[in-house]
Amino acid sequence: MDIWLQQFINALSLGGIYAMLALGLAIVFSIARLINFAHGEIMTFGGYGIFLSMALDFPILVTLTVGIAAAVVMALMMERVAFRAMRGASIISLLITSLAVSEILKVLFQNFISPRPVPISFPSLWSGSYQIGEMTIGVAPTVSIIVTISALGGLTFFLRHTATGMSMRAAAEDFEMLRLLGVRANRIIAVSFALSGLLAGIAAVIWTAQRGSVDPMMGTFPVLKAFIATVLGGLGSLNGAVLGGFVVGILEVLAQAFLLDSLAPYRDAIVLSIVIILLLIRPDGLLPARDGTRS
Amino acid sequence: MANRLRSATTVGVLLVSVLALTLLFGNTGERIALQMCVNVAAVVALAVYCGNTGNVSFGHGAFMTIGAYLSGILTMPTALQGSALPQLPKFLAGHELTVLVALPFVATAGLGVAILTGFAIARLKEASAAIATLGLLIIVHSIAVSAREITRGSQTFYGVPRITDTLFVLSAAVIFILIARAYRESRWGFFARAVRDDEDAATALGIVPFRARFIAWCLSGAMATVAGALQGHVLGAFSPASFYLSLVFAQIVMMIVGGMSSVGGAVVGVIAVTMLQNSVRNLEGGFSVAGFVLPEVFGLTTVALGLAILLIIWLRPQGIVGMFELGPEADSGVLRKFSRRSEPASNSAPVGDEQLVVSGLSKSFAGVTAVNDISLSVPTGQITGLIGPNGAGKSTLINLMTRQYNADAGRTHMGMADFTHLPRHAVIRRGVARSFQNLRLFHGLTAFENVLVAAFATGHTRRTAEAIALRELTAFDLADIAGMQAEKLPYGARKRLEITRALAQDPTMLLLDEPAAGMNPAETEDLASRLDAVGRNRNIGILLIDHDLRFVNRLADRIVVMNRGHKIAEGTPKEVRTNAHVIEAYIGWGRTAQTAISKPITV
Repeated sequence: MDIWLQQFINALSLGGIYAMLALGLAIVFSIARLINFAHGEIMTFGGYGIFLSMALDFPILVTLTVGIAAAVVMALMMERVAFRAMRGASIISLLITSLAVSEILKVLFQNFISPRPVPISFPSLWSGSYQIGEMTIGVAPTVSIIVTISALGGLTFFLRHTATGMSMRAAAEDFEMLRLLGVRANRIIAVSFALSGLLAGIAAVIWTAQRGSVDPMMGTFPVLKAFIATVLGGLGSLNGAVLGGFVVGILEVLAQAFLLDSLAPYRDAIVLSIVIILLLIRPDGLLPARDGTRS
Repeated sequence: MANRLRSATTVGVLLVSVLALTLLFGNTGERIALQMCVNVAAVVALAVYCGNTGNVSFGHGAFMTIGAYLSGILTMPTALQGSALPQLPKFLAGHELTVLVALPFVATAGLGVAILTGFAIARLKEASAAIATLGLLIIVHSIAVSAREITRGSQTFYGVPRITDTLFVLSAAVIFILIARAYRESRWGFFARAVRDDEDAATALGIVPFRARFIAWCLSGAMATVAGALQGHVLGAFSPASFYLSLVFAQIVMMIVGGMSSVGGAVVGVIAVTMLQNSVRNLEGGFSVAGFVLPEVFGLTTVALGLAILLIIWLRPQGIVGMFELGPEADSGVLRKFSRRSEPASNSAPVGDEQLVVSGLSKSFAGVTAVNDISLSVPTGQITGLIGPNGAGKSTLINLMTRQYNADAGRTHMGMADFTHLPRHAVIRRGVARSFQNLRLFHGLTAFENVLVAAFATGHTRRTAEAIALRELTAFDLADIAGMQAEKLPYGARKRLEITRALAQDPTMLLLDEPAAGMNPAETEDLASRLDAVGRNRNIGILLIDHDLRFVNRLADRIVVMNRGHKIAEGTPKEVRTNAHVIEAYIGWGRTAQTAISKPITV
């Protein structure tokens, strides 16, 4: 019982990070048809924002704000500098562009910040734990679950109940139609990037709080998992991305916890193989996006 | 002939640059040439999948990893193997093959992995395919890092016999180019490219997109595995990281810079990027320009690659070479040359009498009933018109008949054959061909190739297929522009080309969705007489949807009228013209409408 709850909390916490990253990818993809391979660098940049403001001894709340703001700014800059000129290009051209942006940013991080991990020390409170009855539960996973759920809840509210949010959901289904109705494309696309940056920034906070350091590759690996999650959920489907993120996170934690020691190194391979088998059964993903094409 | 010249041009470009490198730069040049040839093999392999299917793969690094390690293990001297890999499973140990003998095993293993993964990946396209292949790369990489007994984990894998003979690797690269060229111009290459350009249209021709992509993936994967083996033997010592994201990125850059839709593009891209990499690498350790000393920059080559690809995508998205192969351009007079040396196909025999029968078809979309209980029959030897105002459900009806959509109720029959559970690509095998409301040509293929694909899809040999394409293009007056890329044809010609493509499959029934839309009166008139001739000479049954009432009235023997999903009238053109329901639905009430519809139509 105890171990199950413990693992459940770990799974929710990891799945939440993947879900936020995957949702950011899905928002941008559904509106701009861009698979953003540089999404990891947005998260990494958020991490460096946290590192910088800690080095300057800012209070913790300011530090977190700076970290998240750094990610949002990075996302907006990317859109403005690299992707706006590519509007209307094929999905493959956009994907390759983002890949190039990602590689260039990594080299910049290595040269101008540091090729090695730089330490981040969150207040010791974060690494503590508390007791409920018999069980010991970490503060960090708890906070991360609460933050994730509030972020996802806030975003759902934004998308369902504000004018901008609703036009974004409409844009995800039929962007051309929305433009014909007079909604400004630049604004919708910029907001979608800002939202993806916001989610990546929050993910960066949780991630660095748990790992205690930032390096140029920090965002790369969780974002790779988030890519898989978006495809598993159904590319372009926002609900699918969140579900996919949680499924990948849960599979990963389960594999970590219950695999035989000799198989433990193969965790990623096993998790991804399961995802591929799921995709064989449902090639359009778990919650496919709506498709409005006509013959 | 032209195809052979194109292959020769690509091989020639490679030979000249290898020769230039070795002659101009001596030993350094030869080393660069060696690596360049390996890259050509790898990128050509990658482009077999990417270029023909239009999807990008990150997964080829996985095949290269498998190839490098497998070939390394099979060729490693036994004594060395004992110390480097003491825990190697028995069946892999102590073979000590020569590279040449090991390669067939490597290729077979690669093919096996490709078949296994292809079942998932060939179902996907575009972004989903790209990410799924990325998943494959991560899987194989993490296995290579974890399987220490076989790969030494993330430590360096050493003791692999080295290849230093440029000629050997160059021959491999040339063979790869020839294989890729042969595949591209083969039936399966055409199918893959048709699916790439328009999946729905390809399916309507009877091509199964999954199969076309699967074959491209398997061939490409097996080739990449061999390329990985070559890379391993050139390096001599490597680790899983040697085949991970940065290598994959570099190869994708090479492919895109050259142009991924042609084999020549892949080769030119490798050569251009190799030059770039080597010039920049010299600058990486810091340099001075006119007295300014620039510091050491780590990863300058990566930045150069990134900028190269950004520039190409912004300025020339199809790459340096573009859509078309190096070598002789597509020739607009291609068919005249053809007709001189080949027998034209005999005119197709008139089809037997049959009926395409629709009974009670219905379909709703989210509560809106688009087609409501429609029954009609289309006999051979006649033109049946289907008219109705916008939104009447005409196109939906065609999409239901050809299995593009699943009907909520009702059936389509052709003779005894029931279409209800027929897969979409099998509809043409029952003799039913169609055109689309919005033009759906294979824009990357020439007009000739568009029709050739259709004839291939019917199962004809190349000879017959070419002759049929020739016959159909001539009949629709497209022979003179047959060598032009479909995308570049004038609008009217594109509309005719779509019908030509359908006719090349010798259908019994032809469903035409607004074939005259957007045409000027002269073009419409021309199309009308051609369709009339086709119907009479070949006994084909035609279901003709159009807004142009004169056009339909002139051609149709019988007309069915739809409005808001219902059939509201059926009869001869004259009966329909005077039907009160039709006038109400189609033109609305009013004196002008009455006179317009009852006036005799003269064309």
